[in-house]
Amino acid sequence: MSKVIVVTSGKGGVGKTTSSAAFASGLASQGHKTAVIDFDVGLRNLDLIMGVERRVVYDFVNVINGEATLKQALIKDKRVDNLYILPASQTRDKDALTKEGVESVIEELKKEGFEYIVCDSPAGIEKGAFMALYFADEAIVVTNPEVSSVRDSDRILGILQSRSKAAEEGRTVKEHLLITRYSPNRVEGGDMLSKDDIVEILSVPLIGVIPESESVLQASNSGNPVILDDESEAGKAYMDVVRRFLGEDVPLRFMQVTEEKKGFFSKLFG
Amino acid sequence: MSMLNVLLLEGLDIEAIAAELQKKHDEAPQFFMQSPLIVDCSQVAGALEEDASALDFAALKAALLQTGFIPVGVRNAPAALNETVAQGGWAIMRTAPSSSASTNTTADAKDSQQASDVENGNESKQSAQDDAQQIKAPQTMSSMTIERPVRSGQQIYAANADMTILAPTSAGSEVVADGSIHVYGPLRGRVLAGARGNESARIFCQSLQAELIAIAGRYQLLDESDTELKGKPAMIRLEGEKLIIEPLV
Repeated sequence: MSKVIVVTSGKGGVGKTTSSAAFASGLASQGHKTAVIDFDVGLRNLDLIMGVERRVVYDFVNVINGEATLKQALIKDKRVDNLYILPASQTRDKDALTKEGVESVIEELKKEGFEYIVCDSPAGIEKGAFMALYFADEAIVVTNPEVSSVRDSDRILGILQSRSKAAEEGRTVKEHLLITRYSPNRVEGGDMLSKDDIVEILSVPLIGVIPESESVLQASNSGNPVILDDESEAGKAYMDVVRRFLGEDVPLRFMQVTEEKKGFFSKLFG
Repeated sequence: MSMLNVLLLEGLDIEAIAAELQKKHDEAPQFFMQSPLIVDCSQVAGALEEDASALDFAALKAALLQTGFIPVGVRNAPAALNETVAQGGWAIMRTAPSSSASTNTTADAKDSQQASDVENGNESKQSAQDDAQQIKAPQTMSSMTIERPVRSGQQIYAANADMTILAPTSAGSEVVADGSIHVYGPLRGRVLAGARGNESARIFCQSLQAELIAIAGRYQLLDESDTELKGKPAMIRLEGEKLIIEPLV
């Protein structure tokens, strides 16, 4: 039984592509055959983050238009077994995506035995984002700890539950909340919304909190999904997300305020 | 979300029905998009009893699907037709208790007007044109229950009904009802009760964080109110022209 998972957020720049890359790599590293599709036609980024931009020959739109087979377009990852990337087209725009086309690609991936199909949504609530979420069984909603991001996530959740195929058929899309770029220090200082505030506003179960970390930027720039960096907190936090998604009970990590701050507080109250 | 539309058949010509429905749909496409629809056969039951094959239920379903509704069930069709209806892919809905269907069947068999009428929510509300028989019918209020959060950008309307929400409503959402509104969770968006002028409609909520409150067209931004009940359980009612916010105990 394959599952289609959309990684979405509404707002741009919150870490959808980074999370898609990490999540898909994590699932594959746990032995699940996984495909990750870039829906951001015209602003293709996933291939960069995955470090395969120089291996793109055919893309998602070519497959939809029948100009290439799915096999030709899928890029097999060289680091992780079971991981395949379907890049977006850079020379087209979102109108190239059709419901029928997307459906046929997803159906073919299912037939090929992919267990998880991760759809990396573009920002916004227009066609590209709509296509990415339309066939989803589950959704990972990526949110940053700031009000506009939370508001946009709320909006995309509404669209998910009213306009997706599942909603049209009377089913519900299973929701997961992923908070990224979280800085416990700034939450403590009152600059950022806390994870509890965000969960309270969105009332969606939390699947993980990724701490703000330099390693994310480094990983993106070098084309290595951050989850493969098992030294970094962000990498470990993403791996926790994957394990929670697969049903394990993993406590939240990296939520504590860092040392110097602690020192200050213990001085004050200790 | 769980809006229920009733299509009251007044004729058996599927094309005419679809055309009328499309017109209705086009008036408010967002509002009717993918909303469930029940077909009421009370006015054509006479004709159906005479000729069971007068209406092709499978074709009717296909036509309704095309207009963007989700056909759910049929009610007030002659019992003899139950099997045909089920074969056409329909659920058979129990007759509404307060329905005055029996008066309709005789009165409207001769009424061959080829038209259909869409109504929202209220089970017992009949179309306005058959006034003579209907005037005495009691206007019972039904209610609409929402179990999932109402998200930013979503708009929910309980026509001729009360609304009960068992989840939070988000900032940027809009809940509207012709009757009263109850929210068992934080109320954060806009909330408009008594939308068609019912001044006795009220708003009840467990945590008042709304952006805008309104009853029967009198509205107020919560931030402009000096109430001390923000974030607390509250009831809002209309007194004259003024919205009164009271603690809910």
